[in-house]
Amino acid sequence: MSTVTNLTREDSEFDRLVQDDRVHRSVYVEPEIFAREMDNIFAGTWVYLLHESELPNVGDYRQAWIGTREVFVTRGEDREINVLSNRCSHRGAVICREFRGNATSFTCPYHGWRYDARGTLFGIPGKNAYGPTFKSRGMNLARPAQVAIYKGLVFATLNPNAVTIVEHLGNAASFIDQWLDHQGGWENLVVSGAQRFKVNCNWKMVYDNAGDGYHVPFSHQSLLVMTKERYGGGDMTYFADADRSNMPLHALDNGHSIVDQRPEMYATSAWDQQRPQPGREPFEAHVTQTVGANEAKAVLESAVGAGMNLCIFPNLLFIGNQIQVLQPVRVDQTYVLFNATRRRDGDEQLNAIRLRTQEDFPILGEMDDADNFEECQRGLTFNPEDEWVDISRHFETDKDIDGEDGIVTAPVTSELHMRNYYAQWKRLMKAHPILRVSKEKEAR
Amino acid sequence: MTLAKQAAQGSTDAGATVYKYDPPSLYVTDAFYDWLVDVSLDLDASKFRGEVVSADIQGEIEQLLAAEARLLDQKAFSTWLDLYHDECAYWIPSEWPAPDPRKTVTLEFHDLRRLLDRAARLETGLAYSQYPASRTSRVLSGVEIWASEGRSDEWRVRCNFALSEFRNGFNRVLAGWNGFVIRRTDDGLRVVLKQINLIDCDRPQGNNSFFL
Repeated sequence: MSTVTNLTREDSEFDRLVQDDRVHRSVYVEPEIFAREMDNIFAGTWVYLLHESELPNVGDYRQAWIGTREVFVTRGEDREINVLSNRCSHRGAVICREFRGNATSFTCPYHGWRYDARGTLFGIPGKNAYGPTFKSRGMNLARPAQVAIYKGLVFATLNPNAVTIVEHLGNAASFIDQWLDHQGGWENLVVSGAQRFKVNCNWKMVYDNAGDGYHVPFSHQSLLVMTKERYGGGDMTYFADADRSNMPLHALDNGHSIVDQRPEMYATSAWDQQRPQPGREPFEAHVTQTVGANEAKAVLESAVGAGMNLCIFPNLLFIGNQIQVLQPVRVDQTYVLFNATRRRDGDEQLNAIRLRTQEDFPILGEMDDADNFEECQRGLTFNPEDEWVDISRHFETDKDIDGEDGIVTAPVTSELHMRNYYAQWKRLMKAHPILRVSKEKEAR
Repeated sequence: MTLAKQAAQGSTDAGATVYKYDPPSLYVTDAFYDWLVDVSLDLDASKFRGEVVSADIQGEIEQLLAAEARLLDQKAFSTWLDLYHDECAYWIPSEWPAPDPRKTVTLEFHDLRRLLDRAARLETGLAYSQYPASRTSRVLSGVEIWASEGRSDEWRVRCNFALSEFRNGFNRVLAGWNGFVIRRTDDGLRVVLKQINLIDCDRPQGNNSFFL
């Protein structure tokens, strides 16, 4: 589409496209770059698939994605999690055609080949028509090179040489732990449905925004104005002069980052700052009645968001109490999945108010961001001679502070978040990862 | 004007409890959710309902539904909300059929207060997902009306909808069915529940920032 950039697959080209303080528009609009991202980034490093609580029972399955690669995830008879390529070994038909369900085996609707929950091929109609060469080949469903579970969060990569999941998460792991602590610990978390959005923008625009402490008073102006006019202020008003607030932005390992809203949101009471949810007053009365006035605050705070925008590159965002997942579809289309959560230790009233709280921002705030992402995509697509996307906010103000454990802290409106992940993006895009699946019977 | 809406405009009677967030959401309790789950099953029951409501009721309810849809097409939110009961719910499930909203997140679940929030946000003129605003045109058909069991002042309604939207140079169509609970009050018929079941509710949605 661009007449300016003639992308070659030379590694050095990425040095030109991604500079310290600006990136070239082509990384958002070129299908060729998107295709390479699907290999080098989404298949070449760890991506999040789903949460273990989405497959509570033996035989449960759910479709999932490694970038644009389609897989399905099962819980086998041994209760282990299996990640399987959603493609029959015979002619390639998609095997698992429901988004989720429960099954003891998977039969290809085309010629009836049957696989178990571990992807092992165990039934071929008219099997005696096949010879020894066929039988010597691995014909099970393909499995990605590595699967790892960190505290219930299921990740996979096709790259056998990828670092361990713990190394990949690096210094972001302690923030994930803090987010999980807000949910009462990782085993307390239950994914409870999802709000799913289709946004006509490149996936990175969603990632850009998740660590952006700059846009709030502008993109969400309607929400701030409404909240002030109706209730005298509340949630997110502390972003009005964000760099003077107590909120930090931390750049973390491997392109991860966090906008930590807790110093403002939890300064007095996050519950009091929260816009009112349906059932708020009866819930407050219920909590006071069941746990007493002294303990009430802790329970009420557990019903509202964790106060973090924690971004795990490339596709996982912990925002509020939701586990948000980015699913790239095309260079200019992304699915954004807001997986809602409940607490196992919560009663029905607590979990109802948690869900009502998690429904607040998507319809009252996210819609405006999504529209801005689409308008960014449009602007970048149709004006190719204007080549650069600026990411230089606080690049030249000398405000970055190197802290312990490799954490770099910056003003909350800094675009360090983008500079940080683009460094990882460039490293991965220049690499030549081996991408591997196995069709051999899995040894356990 | 209903009491809750008067309260929202700050004209509460002297001596009444003052709530930080007006109108309060006192009715969204466990019993209300139980009722919603029960209504939801009834609205989606696969059966032929032989009973016929009177032509007067039929006409009155159909006129209310037509006005409810038209006022949204006209973005006349204040007049639109006058058709709603003080203790109402506007509910867009995220799955098909609708699960219990206490156990599964919805696409939208609003009481009267959050409907007022949502309308006020759009009316700031700063809600960029509605800048430019959508133009919509709704068609309702296949309206079935039956009385709520054991009540002479309340009816349940199911109908199909096709909602065409034009925005920013693009047209699209949203489709599905609505479930309504309509109750007679001293002020006339009011919407107690509007449930919007999109046929693709469990797949990624576009910019539905207008009201469905």
